[in-house]
This record gives sequence, structure tokens and C-alpha cells, in this order.
Amino acid sequence: MGELMASYLSEPIEAPITAEEQKPRTSQGEKPPLPPSSEEKQEIELRGLGSDGRAWLGCSFEKFGERCEYEGKERMRRVELSLNQTQKLRLQRALQKLESLSSKANSDASVTVADNIPVNYDDGVLKGHGTSELDGQVVATLCGVVERVNKLVYVRSLRSRYKPDTGDIIVGRVVEVAQKRWKIDINANQDAVLMLSSMNMPDKIQRRRTAVDELNMRNIFEECDVICAEVRNLQHDGTIQLQARSEKYGKLDRGQLLTVPCYLVKRRKQHFHQLEQYGVTLVLGCNGFIWVGEHINVNAEDSMLEDQLNKPPENIDAKTNIFDEGDQTHTELETRQNICRIANAVRVLSTLGFTITIEVIVEILDLSKSLNLNIHDMLGAEFCVLVAEREAGRRSLSTKRKG
Amino acid sequence: MVGLSIGEKHFIKGGIAQDLRCDGRKRLSYRPLYVETGVIPQANGSARVRMGGTDVIASVKAELGKPSRLQPDKGKVSIYVDCSPLSTPLFQGRGGEELSAELSVALQLCLLGGKSGAGAGIDLSSLCIIDGKICWDLYIDGLVVSSNGNLLDALGAAIKAALSNTGIPKVHVAAAASNDEQPEVDISDEEFSQFDISLVPVIVTLTKVGRHYIVDATTEEESQMSSAVSVSVNRKGHICGLSKRGGAGLDPSIILDMISVAKHVSEQFTNQLDSEIAAAEAREDE
Repeated sequence: MGELMASYLSEPIEAPITAEEQKPRTSQGEKPPLPPSSEEKQEIELRGLGSDGRAWLGCSFEKFGERCEYEGKERMRRVELSLNQTQKLRLQRALQKLESLSSKANSDASVTVADNIPVNYDDGVLKGHGTSELDGQVVATLCGVVERVNKLVYVRSLRSRYKPDTGDIIVGRVVEVAQKRWKIDINANQDAVLMLSSMNMPDKIQRRRTAVDELNMRNIFEECDVICAEVRNLQHDGTIQLQARSEKYGKLDRGQLLTVPCYLVKRRKQHFHQLEQYGVTLVLGCNGFIWVGEHINVNAEDSMLEDQLNKPPENIDAKTNIFDEGDQTHTELETRQNICRIANAVRVLSTLGFTITIEVIVEILDLSKSLNLNIHDMLGAEFCVLVAEREAGRRSLSTKRKG
Repeated sequence: MVGLSIGEKHFIKGGIAQDLRCDGRKRLSYRPLYVETGVIPQANGSARVRMGGTDVIASVKAELGKPSRLQPDKGKVSIYVDCSPLSTPLFQGRGGEELSAELSVALQLCLLGGKSGAGAGIDLSSLCIIDGKICWDLYIDGLVVSSNGNLLDALGAAIKAALSNTGIPKVHVAAAASNDEQPEVDISDEEFSQFDISLVPVIVTLTKVGRHYIVDATTEEESQMSSAVSVSVNRKGHICGLSKRGGAGLDPSIILDMISVAKHVSEQFTNQLDSEIAAAEAREDE
């Protein structure tokens, strides 16, 4: 990579890109720029849409005519589907439409490797992550979005591990049960820490955690359990502290965990979704872990009552069912179908590189149901193309309404 | 790899019992298959096969060699599989070696038949040029680029595709060599003979989870298996090889049942694979 990058960087030395040359670049629409406003969140992924690192490199080669074509091919390859000729055309058209829809303002916010970052030298510049100085100009060494904090200029890359932020709701998997704490894999640079003291105890009494509690930690979470929690704070040494001080946090049971690139999940007001009409609980973790599971009534008192009532018969059941595996088919078929449909909707969005929100997921779910599509066929090329076209249509409508 | 929580395990097992797996498949359906041929220009034939998250590459290299004394009229084929540490960190260092060896042996059993070379899926006698003197040695290498379960079937399919992509140069033997000397040969640069793959078997692995068995298991599903039976079946519906993995024992009647199911499934899989190979070759010609 070092060599590769060096070769890109050396490009401007041989043929320095002047301002005139740069202008037509953006006007060709080859490089969909980013809008600055609230719309930004929605549009950033448009850049990422199939154009992660590799496709972006393609952009920077534009002056070589033949490379332009290469970029298009590269994008198709990113979307890993076997498309036939018409599907390819349709997808291309939908992607182009999506790109044309993204607003043209604030175009210098997104950069690829070897792009100049315009800065005001009078104020003094601090070069941050992903930047380098070349011929007295600040140049990006990463593909991503330029961020400025006072004097500091840095590039936030799109495809990277999850960077936690205080208050993010995340889904993670317990890696280790240690002294007074759980270590949790949340797809960040290091495992997060959930202290026993930042947990609500099962008995819901506020008290000091005793040594007995510490010994019984595995009753709360075991290794490999999937849990959801909130990022409490980030310490200076990079340690990530989590907390789970509410009813809604805790262990996630009966369902499946999906992993998507974390930039596809944006931070919103709601990350827990109880889709009661489908009997599904959906948790969109900011770290790109998405839980799709069976909806369980969170009415605590009820469940406790039920527990007490059910205890004796359950034990008998357990004994008779050891060889029967009857306890494994708890999930009803209809619920399971909905879970699988929703999971596949998320998978489709992730292959296409669209932002994953509850509205879009439900829309895809309804689309697949109205087409009477087989659940597994949702992952096929045809449906993906259909979803891309739908999304293009939806966004063009919403921009028109605004305009 | 991190394991699964109890809830997830139950969900997977329950799904298999209800004939609706996590990605919406039925027990006996495959993930979408994608074949690309001619991916390695230096090799005589190569192919890349993707099944969902599983991605493997197979290449075939032909070299002139001497047949073994026991089978002077047959060529030699060796199969070796490498698990790239790119696919999972688990394969780093020597981590992938055990799995590589297991896969290599299983593929040899499934494709090459017995030690004597009888019953091989690949026709070994067609590789012989002069009895006892010269033959083609085929080196088949598999590479696991990314692993999400069902590696053996994917490798089997990739090898089949790579063999169909293989062109073996025509060889002209200079006549009138005495019995002891090694005859001189002239390898043609232009003329190639195609490999006949119509009888190369496909491998169908049935993974038993709970009471039921599934094809094309993902890694998560494989972690819940009790045992797995790999059956290689050729186009005629004949069983060419059989291997079993996993700790739990199987009732013979279940194995017979699995074999008949595998035979049935292999028909569809062979057809699908053949059409994908044809499509890939058409793409390559473009």
C-alpha cells in the first residue's frame, strides 16, 4: 500500500493539477460531492455507494481516459452480484440517478487520495490524520470526508472500524468475563468494557456490588452472549466504557446478528424498534451490528410472574425434551419468516451500500411481500436492482418535494 | 472466531427444524453460485467460485513427467488446498494447516478414487502420452480466499470449473527413440486439447444439525453440526467418493438416506454449475 500511495502522491509532481483542471472534474459529475446540511447524513453514503477505496482511486485517475471506464466496472464489481446485461444497465442507471441527486454544494468536503485540501494558510494549519504536505499544499492520503476543528484539518475515512461516540447505542458480543467487568467486541479498535457497576442488577435494587455479585456475573452475561448497551465515555487511552442502566439494554436472545459496514448506520433518536405487527425486535447498533430477533414483551412484572408460574412445568419439560429438541422451536414460523425477511432486507441494503434506516427496511419488507417473493430470492440480483431503482425514485421524490 | 450465544444457537437449530434457515433458505437449497474462469493467466486452467460468503480459487498446472511404475499407462494428479490467512485470522501461521490437509484429503478421496487410480472422477489414462515414459502431471491447487462454510463443495465446484477451463498443449513425440531413452517431445504452443469434464463429479456435503440435514451450510450452521457427510456424484448419478466428518456417529440407514438425498440434490447442482461454467466461459471469450 505504501508504494501504491507513493505513486499516487508523486502524480502531482509530474503534472501538477491546476485549479482549471480541477474544475471540469467536478462539473462532469464524476465525483459526487457532499452537501453540508442535515441532508449530509443521508448523502454521504452515496459516495460510498460502491465507491469505497478502490472506486475512489479510479476517480483520481480521470485524466487517463481509459481509467474512467475502469471506474464504472470497479463499481459494479463492488456490488457483488451476478447481474445479466439488462440488470446491469438498470442498476447503472439507478446509481447514476442517485449520484445526480446528491447535492453539489460543499464539494470539497469529500476527497480521494492525492486530492488537494483547500486551507487558509494565514490562520495556520494543523495537519491531522489522513493528510500530508506536498509542494506546500495539504494533500489527502485517505479517501473520506474532510473535517475541520479550528486549525486542525483531518480526513475521516469512510471504510474503517467503528469509532465510538458517547451516547451511541451499540450491539456487541461478550468476549471475556473479567474482574468486575465484561469485555465486549463492538467492532472498534479495541474491545469495550462494561463494568458490573454500570449495569442494572437483575433484582433492580440500587446497591453496592458485592463479591457475591461478582461471582455471579455469568448469570447476567456469559461469553458469546449478544448484548446491547450505550457508550458511556471514551477515556484518553482509548478505552471504551459502556453502560446498560436501563430496562431496554441487556441480553438479546432468540434471533440473529448481522454485521454491516458501520457507516451505513447513522445515529438517530431511535435505535430500538419493536415491530409488533411482525413480532420482531430490531436493534440497529451504531457500530454496524444489527440484531433481528423475536419480539419479547418487556413488561418486567409479567415476565417475572410468568417465570414463577411456569417454573415447575418447565423443569419437567426440560427433562422430557432433552432428546426431543422441542424447546428449540419456540419461534413461531410466521415470526421466523418475518425475521428472515427483515434480515435479508438489511443484507440487500448492505450489498447496495444504502443507509440502513427503519423506514427503508420496512419499505423493502412490504415490497418483497407485495411481490410475493420467496424469502431467499430477496438476495438475488433482480430484487437488488429493484430496490436500487425504488430508492432512486424515493429520493428524487423527496428532493422534488423539498425543492 | 467468536462463538454463538445460546439464543442464536437455538434460533439456528429451530430454523433448520422448521425448514427456514437464517437467510431464508430451505434445508436443501444453495446460496447463489457465481463462477469466473481464467482468473490466473499463468496456469493452464483456473476458476473462482463464490457461494455467498465463501470464495475459493482453483488452478490447474500441467507439467510433463514420468508415470509411476505401478501405473505406467496413467498420468498423475495431485490436489493441494491452501487456506489463506486473509479469510479468517484463524488461519494465520500454521492455523490453517489442519483444515488444508483435511480438505486436500477429502478432495483426493472424492475426485481421484482409490490408490490404484481406479474409479477416478478425472480420467487419468487420457493424461498419458507414452506408456511408462511420459505423461502429464496435473497439479491442482485450491485457495480459500474467504470462508463462510461449505468449503469442500465450493472447492469441488472450483476444481471442476478450472478443469473445464484447462487447455493441455498437444504434444508431438519424435519417433524412433530406442526403448531405454527418454523420447524427445515437442510441446505445441497453439494447439490445446480440452479436458473432458462431463464425468468429473460434484461434491455435495450434507450437514446434520439436530435431526435434519442441510446442504451448503454457513459457518454458523456448521458450528452446530453433529456430523457431515460429503458425497461426490457424477452426472450419471454414480457415487464417486464419500467422506464423513464430525464427532457424532451415524446410523447406517441415515447414511443411506443421506446418500440418496445427495444424489437427488447433485442433479440440480450439476446443472446449475454447468450452466454457470458455460456462462463464465462465454464472458471470458468476450
